[in-house]
Amino acid sequence: MNPALRLWNLRVWGPYMRATARWPVLRSIVPFLPLLALWWAVANAEIFPRAFFPGPSEVVSSFFTLMYKGILPEYLADSVTRLVVGAAAGVALGIPLGLLVGLSQRAHTALWPILLFFQAIGDIAWLPILLIWFGFGLTTMTFVIVYTVLFPIVLNTVLGVRSIPLDLHRAARSLGASRARVVWEVVLPGAMPNIITGLRNGLGYGWRALIAAEIIVGTSGIGFLMFDARRAGSVVEIMLGMIVLGVLWYIVDAWVLAPIERATGQRWGMVQRQ
Amino acid sequence: MKSLVLKNLSKTYFDPYAGSQVIAIRDVSLTVQPGEFVSIVGPSGCGKTTILNMVAGFLPVSGGEILVDGQPVHGPGPDRGVVFQSFALFPWKTVLENVAFGPKMRGIGKAERERIAREFLDLAGLAHAADRYPNELSGGMQQRVGVVRALANHPDVLLMDEPFASVDAQTRMTLQEELTRIWQERRTTVVFITHDVAEAVFLANRVIVLSKGLVMTEIDVPLEHPRHWDTLMEDERFKSLTALVLQKVRAA
Repeated sequence: MNPALRLWNLRVWGPYMRATARWPVLRSIVPFLPLLALWWAVANAEIFPRAFFPGPSEVVSSFFTLMYKGILPEYLADSVTRLVVGAAAGVALGIPLGLLVGLSQRAHTALWPILLFFQAIGDIAWLPILLIWFGFGLTTMTFVIVYTVLFPIVLNTVLGVRSIPLDLHRAARSLGASRARVVWEVVLPGAMPNIITGLRNGLGYGWRALIAAEIIVGTSGIGFLMFDARRAGSVVEIMLGMIVLGVLWYIVDAWVLAPIERATGQRWGMVQRQ
Repeated sequence: MKSLVLKNLSKTYFDPYAGSQVIAIRDVSLTVQPGEFVSIVGPSGCGKTTILNMVAGFLPVSGGEILVDGQPVHGPGPDRGVVFQSFALFPWKTVLENVAFGPKMRGIGKAERERIAREFLDLAGLAHAADRYPNELSGGMQQRVGVVRALANHPDVLLMDEPFASVDAQTRMTLQEELTRIWQERRTTVVFITHDVAEAVFLANRVIVLSKGLVMTEIDVPLEHPRHWDTLMEDERFKSLTALVLQKVRAA
C-alpha cells in the first residue's frame, strides 16, 4: 500500500472511525467542516462585498439575534406545524387510497391514469389558481402541502401492495384470515417499506413546496423570512434561512425516518441494509 | 383426521397468449382416507400444483367437486392447512407470531395462542428461535416454521406443495424424516406434491402418478412409519417401489 495512504488510514481515518463509533453525532458534523472552512475563506478574502457574501460569523450572530427576538422560533414552529399537519392529512388520505388502488384491479383501472395526470401538475403549478380561489392564506398553503405529500405516498403504497408475494395472501387466507383481516395483517405491513419510502419522498417534496408557498403566499414561516429578507436586502438572513432548511431536513431524516426504516423493512429483511 | 374426496375434478383456463382454452386437469377422482399420507408425483406441467391450489381454494374449479369430511369446499379455509414451496412466512412477524397466526385468526387470546405456538415449535425443535424473524433463519428452519404454522391451526387436511424443493439435500432428508415422525404422532391427513420420486415414496402411504391432467396410476407403499433414510436407502422394497414409480413418471 502507498505509504501516504497508510499514514492517512493510521492517523486520520482509523481514529475518525473510532471517534464516530463512540460519538455518532460526529458523523453528522465533521463532513460539513471543510465546507464551512471554504465558505469562511471565500468570505474573508473579500472577493465579493461583505454585505453581498457574508461569512459564517455574521450568519451565526444573525441566528442569535433572530432567536433572541423570537422571530426564528415562531417562524420555524409555523413552518414545521404546516408540514406536520399537511403530512398527516397526506398520510391519512394517501395510504387508504393506495391500498384501494393496489388491491382492486377495478380501482386501478379507473384511477391510475387520473393519479398520473394530477401527479404531473406539480405543487407550484397549482398556486395561480389556488390564489384566485382561496387567496393568500392558510387554505392555499395547506392544499399545496397535502397535494405534494399525497402523491408519493399513494404511488409508493400501490407499488408496495402489488409487490407482496401472492403466497403471503394465500397463506393468510388458508390460516383463516378474512379478506379484511388480510389487509391489516398482510397488506399493510407488507407494503410498509414502500409506504415509508413514499413518506420520505413526500415529506421532502412537501418541505420544498411549503417553502415555495410561504415565499409567494406567506405571512410567516421560514420561506417568508427569506423573502422578507430579500426585500430588506439582508443576504445574511437569506443564508440563515437556507441553512435552517437543510439542518431541519437532516434532523427529520436522521432522527425520524431512518430509525423507522431500521425498525421495519431492514429488521424484517425486506430491504437490504446499506 | 378427516377424509378428502376429489370427484371428477377438472380445470381449464384461458391462455391470453395462445388465445385459447388450455386443459390443466382433465378428470381427476381421488379419495384420501382420514389420516392417510398421499404423495402426488408427475412431470412438470402435469397439473399437480393446480390440483393442490384448487383443494386449498386458491383457484376455482372448472368442473367436479372437492369434499373435506363430506363438506364441499368453497375458497380457502383453516380446515385445509397449506405449506408452500416459498415458505410464505410473514417477514414482519417473529417465528412465534407466525405460528400463532392461525389461532389468532380463530380468535384465541394472546396468552393461549402463544402457548399453542410454543408447543408446536417444541414439536419441530424450534423453541430457541421463537423470537427471531424469518429472515434470520436458514431455509430448513424457515420451512420447519412453515410446517408447524400450518399444523398449529389443527387442519383437517395438510396440503404441501413441493415444500422441501428449495432446501439443500442434507437438510431435505432431515426434514423428510421429521415429517414422517410428526405425521405418525399427529396422524393428519396429508397431500404432498413433489416431482422427487424417492421423496414421494419415502413419505407416503400411497403415491399417485399424474399425467396430462389424469391419474395415471396409484401405488401403495406398505412401509412402516416412522421412516429413516439410513435403513430405507438399502431396503429392497423401498428400492423396487421407487424404481416402479420412476418408471411410471418417465412414461407419463
